[in-house]
Amino acid sequence: MSLTKTPGDRPAEQRRQGVTGTTLNVFSHTFLVAWLVMAAAPLLLVVLNSLRPHGDIVSEPFGLPTDLEWANFSNAWTSANIGRYALNSLIILAGSLTGTMLLGSMAAYVLARFEFPGNRLLHLLFVGGMMFPVFLALVPLFFVLNNLGLLNTRQGLIVVYIAYSLPFTIFFLVAFFRTLPGGVQEAATLDGASHTRTFFQIMLPMAKPGLISIGIFNFLGQWNQFVLPRVLNVGDPDDAVLPQGLAALMVQQGYEGDWGALYAGVTLAMMPVLVVYAAFQRQVQSGLTAGAVR
Amino acid sequence: MESGAEGREDVADTRERAGGNMTDAGAAGRRRSGGDRLTPGLALRLTVAFFLPPRFTPRSVRYDRRYRKLDQYRFIVWFLSLPVLVYGVFVVSPFLQAFFYSMTDWTGYSASYEFTGFENYERMWNDDKFWEATRNSLLLLVVAPVVTLVMGLFFAYMLTAGGRRRNEAVAGVTGSGVYKIVYFFPQVLSLAIIAVIWARIYSPRSGALNAGLDAVGLDSWQREDWLGSSWAIWCVLVVLCWSFVGFYVVLFSAAMSAIPTEIYEAARLDGAGRSVTFFRITFPLTWETVRTGWIYMGIQALDAFALVNVMVPEHGMDVLPSYLFEKSFRDGQAGYATTIGVALFVITLLFATVMLRIGRRDRIEL
Amino acid sequence: MTSKLNRRSLLTRSAAAGLLSVPAVSALAGCASGGGDDESVERGETTDDNPLGVDPEAELEVIIFDGGFGDQYALDAEAIYQENYGPVTHDKTTEIQTRLQPRMVQGDPPDVINNGGADAMDIAALIRNGQVYDLNELLDAPSLDDPNVTVRETLMPSTVEMGQFGSQEVWRLNYAFTVYGQWYSRTALERLEVEYPRTWDEMIAVCEAAKRQGMAGWTYPGVYPYYFNFTLYPFIGKIGGVEVLQAIDNLEPNAWRHDAVKAAFEAYHELAARGYVLQGSPGMTHEESQDEWNAYQALFIPNGSWVENESRRNTPEDFDMAVGPPTGLDSSDAMPFETLWASASEPFFVPADARNPIGGLEFLRVMLGQESARNFTELVSSLTCVRGAADGMDLPPGLSSAKATFEAAGDNLLVPRLPDWYKQFNNEEVGGAVAAMMAGDIDPDEAITRCQRAADATASDDSIQKFQHV
Repeated sequence: MSLTKTPGDRPAEQRRQGVTGTTLNVFSHTFLVAWLVMAAAPLLLVVLNSLRPHGDIVSEPFGLPTDLEWANFSNAWTSANIGRYALNSLIILAGSLTGTMLLGSMAAYVLARFEFPGNRLLHLLFVGGMMFPVFLALVPLFFVLNNLGLLNTRQGLIVVYIAYSLPFTIFFLVAFFRTLPGGVQEAATLDGASHTRTFFQIMLPMAKPGLISIGIFNFLGQWNQFVLPRVLNVGDPDDAVLPQGLAALMVQQGYEGDWGALYAGVTLAMMPVLVVYAAFQRQVQSGLTAGAVR
Repeated sequence: MESGAEGREDVADTRERAGGNMTDAGAAGRRRSGGDRLTPGLALRLTVAFFLPPRFTPRSVRYDRRYRKLDQYRFIVWFLSLPVLVYGVFVVSPFLQAFFYSMTDWTGYSASYEFTGFENYERMWNDDKFWEATRNSLLLLVVAPVVTLVMGLFFAYMLTAGGRRRNEAVAGVTGSGVYKIVYFFPQVLSLAIIAVIWARIYSPRSGALNAGLDAVGLDSWQREDWLGSSWAIWCVLVVLCWSFVGFYVVLFSAAMSAIPTEIYEAARLDGAGRSVTFFRITFPLTWETVRTGWIYMGIQALDAFALVNVMVPEHGMDVLPSYLFEKSFRDGQAGYATTIGVALFVITLLFATVMLRIGRRDRIEL
Repeated sequence: MTSKLNRRSLLTRSAAAGLLSVPAVSALAGCASGGGDDESVERGETTDDNPLGVDPEAELEVIIFDGGFGDQYALDAEAIYQENYGPVTHDKTTEIQTRLQPRMVQGDPPDVINNGGADAMDIAALIRNGQVYDLNELLDAPSLDDPNVTVRETLMPSTVEMGQFGSQEVWRLNYAFTVYGQWYSRTALERLEVEYPRTWDEMIAVCEAAKRQGMAGWTYPGVYPYYFNFTLYPFIGKIGGVEVLQAIDNLEPNAWRHDAVKAAFEAYHELAARGYVLQGSPGMTHEESQDEWNAYQALFIPNGSWVENESRRNTPEDFDMAVGPPTGLDSSDAMPFETLWASASEPFFVPADARNPIGGLEFLRVMLGQESARNFTELVSSLTCVRGAADGMDLPPGLSSAKATFEAAGDNLLVPRLPDWYKQFNNEEVGGAVAAMMAGDIDPDEAITRCQRAADATASDDSIQKFQHV
């Protein structure tokens, strides 16, 4: 940043660049805008269709709403119980996200900054978890929970969410903690601060950008988690989490034909996530930048 | 920016010393180990101290030379115990058990089954459908990461360094903030919902794809059936890439903005154009991130389950997870399904190992 | 509205994604069940009013599949049951397997399960494991309305057969009764000034007439191509006789090489080759094809009698829905034109491990009474497996047409078993071959070859349980 340039140092050079740059510009910008449309259109479709009656959606899936059918939302909210499922999801996420961040950062910190026998092995074991196809574990997992009395309970779901979020979290945070300057940690130790205190009062605050990034990813992943609750949370239908509720709504849609309510439900489910992402996206960026995941 | 640069230095430093700032502690420990003898009483006190929080550490122990090491190990054990316990019980142990189930004839509906050894594996070897599903999975595994990552890199580059503004060597194109938010949109939806939406798009009569082809005069490209035909795999591929490009744009832009401006500055002084800058500077400097992203995307491609299961008709193509699912939940052959799961696991593992080996190259130190 | 033929709604499949199949070491299952079994209910005293001997105090747990039929009919039947016996715990779900498979494995199932929908449990696997209660006891009991008539005697033809899996035991009761065939709009035929086609030449003529008016002859849900089986199987049976279909069901060598199969495949292929099939049908879901059909875009659709209720939101007032038997080939057909596939659907069963299985049987006996059966027909506009229960009722056009068509068939009923015996073969292999043929990718010979090859593969696959017509 210290280098500043006066424009026009090399006029010829710049002119040449200018010409090719313009064509490239047009080309690239077209792509950028095209993808903007591609990425936004399906979501827009969901939101628009959530305001249309079923018949219109069927006859013209990509049309605009004429009369706003707000009833879709009240249908999704009341009869499909979206509100209740969203609350369940929030409660579970409150526990699982906190737990994931806490356990994940604890393990990652130790793995990143201390050497002890088995460090590499443990690291590999955790990171290798990203490669396990979840399907393979579903059945035995069910029994593990059953035997621990955790089946169909919130605690059970929370602890499983935590366990299955650890691989990516640890993978990410180990890289992140390694980038933090070591001097601070040593200084703290010399000052007589315990390791635990150093971690919570010095290292964690320093790691905030990384924690926010990985926190957002875990939030997205756990909020949309579908397979695990479908297997491990099948007791009382009132305890279902949002993706389960949406799936039930989709199934119901197949029998009763109400696309409007389905789209309204999907809209309700994705709004909080969009808001969270939009609010934190700068921090996500800076967290990723600082960590520059390796 | 500054702390970032400092951080990187530290990484290089850390790596060099293979294990971080622990080195001197360890060395110190070794030096001391020849010192005063460890009496049984002290050993007991050390042991007790190991299990107590630091504030209860007896004075005699606290000032013992070995204490520093003990304190460290105590901390390590204390911090790792809970994560390792949770992970071991809920992730590792179920996976190990799964290998056992792959050797049974278990149907999935009752509590009984018989041990059948490698029968399921033999059957899998001779199962044409399994190989077909494997071929499709491998195709996704190879193509999806390439397409997604290339697009992700391109967009990320445009957004972080694509703009040329006066007095600035690097700048994103105008409105890059908006792009970054919108590109990420598909990530907020779960794949099951994405699949439903895209199934509507591929729908032959009312779908957007055929309508779009018609609108641009490519009527002859229209198809009566996208998802049930041999096109299905490409249809799935498009959706897979669509939903993940945003993630990589965000990831790569982060990695790219960590590259010091001075480097771009220098390149510009040398008259390097955007593409030269990209291939000479940006790409090599973000390679580590790209490689990680590649592995991650490969795993996502192998698990295209929700997409295939929702979008592709039952008689259409299968990928490994969807074939596994059918065997387990439609045909009541959970034992065999687990065997397919093991195969999927092996493929994932091989892929990751290969990527980590061939992708390794020297880190460019900044 | 799915029957056992399991029309899958798109999402149902993803919804089923996580379901569990739970393997289990018996010991584990033992501790998991938490002592549920030891509370199992003793049989009470049998009386004329209580022929099965239900313990009048015992609780009953019923789980209803909450699909197109909803669950009101079951609530009403439970009210009747509760007048005489213990309280009923009622629950409904769209995801039978997801909710119940864990309980089946744990040995703690409910007393009655309506095993319906795309997410139903594989009954064949349950039977193999001895987890299903034999219903013969119920069938031999006196019926609710007339003590001199057994329950068995009140049932529609094929109901008992549909509950059998290669032996005399009856494992399930299919409560609804479905008429399969070529569904059409009388209004549409009238507008074209044509009669319902009885031979294939007439079918071609009708389609040609429709084509001239810019209307397709046929549409079908290409995403679920086994809908074609609803008319294809009876068509084959009609041409070649019932033995041809039974040979196919029994997976006999070269069963598919029969001339009747070839004639039927070629006839259908002709529809596609002549352009009588609505464009886009190969990629449509059931909903989409039904919507097009309701919009007079196509004359015929292969379907079952649930279609009227399922598509009611989009059916025009003047549609006048009707069903006809599959059009025959010509005068050389082995069976008369009225020959039809009609069979009981929407399965109920009583788990062997249920706490109160006798109560479960009694509940089914109540359901099979005239009052409950008529209530079902009225509520969900579907026939039931109870003989004559819909007589004299005011039925919507499609359903009354189904009833008339069924009655006209008399004894000429065909009940193909491939869909419930070998679901994978029926849906994926036959469905896939027919789909490819109708989309113009392969010719009829190759489609038949594919079916035969798959039949042979199924026959030689040890992991698939085999059944035979008894």
